[in-house]
Amino acid sequence: MKRLALCIVIGLVAIAGCARESSGPRRLRFAVIPKALDIPVFNYAKVGAERAAAELGNVDIIWRGPERADELRQKEIVESFITQRVDGIAISVLNADFLTSTIDRAVDAGIPVVTWDSDAPSSKRLAFYGVDDFRSGQIMGEEADRLLGGKGTIAIITSLGAANLRRRLEGVQSALAKSPGLKIVETYDIKEDPVRCAEIIATGTNRYPDLGAWISVGGWPVFTRNALAAVDPARTKVISFDTIPPAPEILKSGKAQVLLGQKYFGWGSEPVKLLNDIVAGRRPPNRIIDSGVDIVTPQNVDQYLEQWARLERGK
Amino acid sequence: MKRLWRTRELSTVAILALEVIVFTWYLWPDRGRGHPFLNAGNGLLILKYSSIYGIAAIGAAIVIISGGIDLAPGAVIAVTSVITGYCFVERGWPLPASVGAGLLTGALAGAVSSLLIVRVGLPPFIATLGVMGIARGVAFIITEARYYDLSRSIPPGSHMLGVPIDWIAPVTMVAAGLVFQVLMKRFQWGRAVFAIGGNETAAVYTGIAVGRIKTSVYVVAGLLASVSGIVLAVAQGQGKADLATGYELDIIASAVVGGASLAGGRGSVIGAVLGALVFGVLRNALPQIPGATFYDRLIVGLVVIVIVVLDQVLVRHER
Repeated sequence: MKRLALCIVIGLVAIAGCARESSGPRRLRFAVIPKALDIPVFNYAKVGAERAAAELGNVDIIWRGPERADELRQKEIVESFITQRVDGIAISVLNADFLTSTIDRAVDAGIPVVTWDSDAPSSKRLAFYGVDDFRSGQIMGEEADRLLGGKGTIAIITSLGAANLRRRLEGVQSALAKSPGLKIVETYDIKEDPVRCAEIIATGTNRYPDLGAWISVGGWPVFTRNALAAVDPARTKVISFDTIPPAPEILKSGKAQVLLGQKYFGWGSEPVKLLNDIVAGRRPPNRIIDSGVDIVTPQNVDQYLEQWARLERGK
Repeated sequence: MKRLWRTRELSTVAILALEVIVFTWYLWPDRGRGHPFLNAGNGLLILKYSSIYGIAAIGAAIVIISGGIDLAPGAVIAVTSVITGYCFVERGWPLPASVGAGLLTGALAGAVSSLLIVRVGLPPFIATLGVMGIARGVAFIITEARYYDLSRSIPPGSHMLGVPIDWIAPVTMVAAGLVFQVLMKRFQWGRAVFAIGGNETAAVYTGIAVGRIKTSVYVVAGLLASVSGIVLAVAQGQGKADLATGYELDIIASAVVGGASLAGGRGSVIGAVLGALVFGVLRNALPQIPGATFYDRLIVGLVVIVIVVLDQVLVRHER
C-alpha cells in the first residue's frame, strides 16, 4: 500500500513538472555572484541585475555570494551553481588564480560565465564588464599630481588580497613614479576593516601632519563621514574610489576632492544582458567591456548626484 | 594570593610601559617636529579604538574567570550596531531608545548563550559559536548588505550629554572597568564567579547557585559587547553587519594578556582593559613605522605568545 502511494506521489510530481515545463517558454536562471555580501557597493549591482531580469522578462536572478571576502566560499558557491546547472553565471572574482579552473569547468559544462567588477583574465569566461583597474589607479595618481602641483607626500590605503585592488595600486604607483616631486610615505593595509581604515587615517594624519594627500584604492574612507574626521582639507587632499552615498556629500563638505565612481547598477544589469545574449547565440564583439569610471570633483558633483538619483529611480 | 593578583596587573602595566618607551624611542622625531606617538591627541586615539575591544574584553574576562569562553562578542558588536542603526536611522527612534534596543540585543544574545550552556548543557565553545553565527546572520538579514548611516545625525566632533563623542568610548571603558573590578573583588557575585571557575563542583557544594551565576555572567558579557557595539557605531558613524569581524579573538586575547587563565578561576577585569591597551598601542604605533603595516599581524601574534609565556613563568615563580 505504501509503495503504491509512493508511486502515485512520484507520478503526480512528474506530471506537475511536465505541465510546468510545457506551460510557456523556458525561464532562464542566472546566478549573480558578488565578491562578498557585506560590501555596500554590491547592493546596487543586485538592484541592477534584478531590473535587467525584469526588463528581459524570461530571466530569474539568483543572487548569492560569500558573507565576507572568502575565496574558498566563493569557489564553493560557483561549484554549487555548476551542479545546479544554472543557465549562466556572472561573477565578481575574488581571486582570479584560485577561481580560473572552476570557471573553466563551468564553461566546459556548457554554462556561460561572464565576469564583472573583478576579472579572471586567464579563464575561459566569455566576457568581462568593469573598469580598467590599472588605468583607474593611474587616474588617481594623476589627480593627486594635479591637486598637489607635482610636489608633496602621499599615503595610500589598500587591502591586500583582491586582484583588482592590486592593479589599482600598481596604477597609482606607476602614475606617481612619473612625478619626481611626489613621494609615497606609506602604503597601508587596512584588511578590509572599515574601523581599521578610520584608525589608520587618524594615526597616519598624526604621523604625517604635513601629508599632501591620501589615495584610497577602495571606498572605505568615504563610506562614513567619520573616517576622515582627522583630516584637515586645507593641508591634506583625499582621492578615493567609489561614489555611493554618503561619498558625494563628503566631497561637497570639502573633506574629499576627487572620487572615482564605477557603474554600480551596470555591474548587475550588463552581465545579465550579456548572458541573455550569449544564451541566445549572440556573443559580445569584444571580450573586455570597459565600463569607464566617473571622475567626480567639486565641479561636477551636483550633476553626478542628479544622475545618481535618476539611476536609483531606475531611469 | 592577593599579592599575586597585584603582580599580574602590574606585569601588564609593565608591558604597556615598555611598549610606550620602545615606540617613543623608535619614533623619536627630527628636531623641530612634534612627537608622532607621544602626544595627547594620539593618546586619545589609542584610548578611543582600544575601548571598542576593551569594553567587550571586560565581559570576556569575566566569562573566562568563570571557566567558560565566549566567541560571540564580535558578532554581538555588529548586530548591536545594526539594531541601534536600524532603530535610529530607519525607524526614527530617539537615540536613547535606539541604544536601549541595542543593549537589549546584547543581553538577549548573552541570555541565549547561557540558556544553551546552563539548561541544555552545551559546552560554552559550541553554544557561543552558534550564537556568533546567529547574531551575525541576523545583522546580515536586517541590513541586506546596506548600512545605517548614523554619521548624518551624529557627525564627527559632536557632543553627547556634554561629552565629545571621541571621549565616550574611553570614558565608558574606564567606568565599566572600575564598576566590574569592584563587583568582582568586593561583592559576593564576583567571588562566586571566581569560585565556579576555580572548581565548579566545590562551588556547588558551598551552596553557590552555579546556574544563576553562569547565566548572569553570559548576560553581562553580552551586555558589555553590545556597549562596545554602540560606542563603535557612534565612533564609526555606521551600523553595519560586517563590523568587528574577527574581533572576538582580539577580545579574548586582551583578556588573556591581561592575566585571565583559560582554565578558569583566575583573571582580572582591569587586566583585560590593560590587555586591550597593549594591543591598542601596537595597532597605533606599528603603522607609524614605515613598511610595518604588512608585518603587524606577525608582530601582534608574537607579542601574544611572548606575554602569555612570560605570564606562565611568573606564575611558576610565584608558586
